[in-house]
Amino acid sequence: MTKRKLLAGLGFGLVTALALSGCSAPAGDGQVTLQMVESLTSPARTELLDKLIGEFEEQNPGITVELISPPTDQADQKIQQMLQSGSGVDVLEVRDLTVGPFSANGWLSDMTTEFEGWDGWDSLTSNAQNVATAGGKMYFVPYGFYGISLFYRTDMVKDAGFDGAPLSWDDLVDQATAIQDPAANQYGYAFRGGKNGYTNAVLAISAYVAGDIDVTNAYKLKNGDSIFSAPEALEAMDTYLTLFKQASPPSSVAWGYPEMVEGFTNGSTGFLLQDPEVIAAVNESKAITPEQWTTAPMLVGPGGKAIQPLATAGWGTAEASEHKAEAAKLIQFLNSGDASIEFTQTNSLVPILTGAADDPFYKTGAWESYLYMNENPEVYITAEQPRGVAWFTEWADKADSELQQVLIGQMTNKELLASWDSYWTEKWAAE
Amino acid sequence: MSGQTTTATGRPSTRAGAPSAAPHKSTRRRAFSTRRGLVILAFMLPAIIFVAVFTYYPMLAGSQMAFRNWNLNNLSNTDWVGLGNFQKIFADPNFYVILGNSVLWVVASIIPQFIIGFALALWLRRKFVFRGVYQALIFFPWAISGFLIGILFRWMFNGEFGVINDLLMKAGLIDTAIPWLAEPGTAMTAVIIANTWYGVTFFAIMILAALQSVPDEVYEAAALDGSGKVRTLFSITIPYISTTLALTVLLRVIWIFNFPDIIWAMTGGGPANQTHIITTWMISITQRGDYGQASALGLIVMVILLVFSAFYLMAIREKKGARS
Repeated sequence: MTKRKLLAGLGFGLVTALALSGCSAPAGDGQVTLQMVESLTSPARTELLDKLIGEFEEQNPGITVELISPPTDQADQKIQQMLQSGSGVDVLEVRDLTVGPFSANGWLSDMTTEFEGWDGWDSLTSNAQNVATAGGKMYFVPYGFYGISLFYRTDMVKDAGFDGAPLSWDDLVDQATAIQDPAANQYGYAFRGGKNGYTNAVLAISAYVAGDIDVTNAYKLKNGDSIFSAPEALEAMDTYLTLFKQASPPSSVAWGYPEMVEGFTNGSTGFLLQDPEVIAAVNESKAITPEQWTTAPMLVGPGGKAIQPLATAGWGTAEASEHKAEAAKLIQFLNSGDASIEFTQTNSLVPILTGAADDPFYKTGAWESYLYMNENPEVYITAEQPRGVAWFTEWADKADSELQQVLIGQMTNKELLASWDSYWTEKWAAE
Repeated sequence: MSGQTTTATGRPSTRAGAPSAAPHKSTRRRAFSTRRGLVILAFMLPAIIFVAVFTYYPMLAGSQMAFRNWNLNNLSNTDWVGLGNFQKIFADPNFYVILGNSVLWVVASIIPQFIIGFALALWLRRKFVFRGVYQALIFFPWAISGFLIGILFRWMFNGEFGVINDLLMKAGLIDTAIPWLAEPGTAMTAVIIANTWYGVTFFAIMILAALQSVPDEVYEAAALDGSGKVRTLFSITIPYISTTLALTVLLRVIWIFNFPDIIWAMTGGGPANQTHIITTWMISITQRGDYGQASALGLIVMVILLVFSAFYLMAIREKKGARS
């Protein structure tokens, strides 16, 4: 009896092993399976990607794509681990924050050869082409751009006695202060003090030094010094701190992305600085109606200008991939024609295709402010932040922590700027 | 006594050179033991291999990173740096604040967890209607991920939209909302409250199991002797289950020290690093790619816990020895 059980167990084990080995065996019929991994995962986005991949597979019967969608919080680390192991990924989502470390480690393939002669190249905007070929190598092709605008409550602004959205950071302080009414659970500005809170502080500083900024490195002035060393930076930070003290929820010291967006979509705050992807989230809000909100262009500094950071992400190929040509084919499909338009519109991204921004989609409602900024590039200056450097995550960590120290009174604005200035000056000197 | 001495344990032993009383029997026993040992080893081998591959190998591989310049943001130079990573940690003023936070986190969490868990276990030991339902409900939090609990508590402690402030206001205990997670003191209090809620269950489970081993006759005898409830608790119950209590506390100290989930989800170590404990700090260092420094921190945590465990176990042994 025992012997029979043992044999049955062995038999079952053998069958299972064979079945499993069959699953991972390479197909001998010329069929190629691409492993694709995304980073900024969300259920709706994954669904759309699955649909687009389905269309790609229909057009390319020899290629199957397996999409891996780790949770956003752990995705970049997961991708790092996959790349480090040297297998299991062909196409991956590359962000402006990860392209530096990934390429420095030799994990990304330079796709220049595979993209030679691609007929979709000329359809890309100059921004997309520049990002794709930055540093002379094509480590990723962007699928869209993230641009900041000011989300605001038209009704609250009107009730507070103003006839339009704030234009400058000073205006924002005035209007948000007038709106602030903690007793009624109504707050002026959805302040970002938690994770990546430094980004909005840098936006304010950039606006104050916009006239002198080096557009190829938005953390640098034209004279080579860091933006944090400029006297205007201290003015900007003083204004920014006033905005926090007078016109923001006290607990926003700890607010990250979810709390900020929630604060605006649940109707508690009057203003929010965010990427266009939030448009979709606000549209779904049950607490505020479409008539109660819209967006305005970026806030300008005393010189009447603002800096629009060029934040982006896209698709790249792993150096270890054995199917680089097929991987490039998939990226080309996703970044051209209807697939690209659907992806950018559904995810509320600034498009990469020339003429796509002329679509009525981008000319109405919350998208109008982006159009206005595009039409006035001398006021809303596009500048590239040094997000590709290998130490950017270290910087973000330090900057967040020190900004919080300012917010809770453990550090002054002057000390903060001195620290940020010396950090970047030392890093650039060591390059 | 000829040919034989007595060992310290009082067992007879054969003197060298003297003829053995039963040489054949001794050889047979040895052969039997070797075979038995091999069988035992064969049974244990899969477990040994599993632990070696999945526990000790990663531990050793991780440990060697602590002595190298292992930064995921640039792996072109992974040279040995000796104690460089440890020096960086000890030179960072944040380390000492975070070490203090870690001690506070453990002590302030474990005391209420222990007291409330003990009280719950005593209550659950009594026989009453729906006791099983209560037991299931009380054990339920232990089944939830710590990170998820952290997220739930983050929203509950939100200064503007959180239910905690709402309840406190409705109860008339506060006039204005408390920005719980925005100030170092209240943020630490909030994460400890969340951890206490989570950990009470563990103590309740362990202590209840131990309490059920105390024979009813002992309590009956105590009652006959006229012992009150408090006297019975301190003179009978606690001494009877003291070994379980001691080991549960030790286990829990190690777990809480190594338990970043709730803090990470609630505050991410903020504001301004003020709620970081060593393991959340380690996560934040890992997230910026510095695996070398994070591994060094991991080794420091291991040493701290080993030293603590050794002293704790010695203290318990001494106390037991003194009592016996």
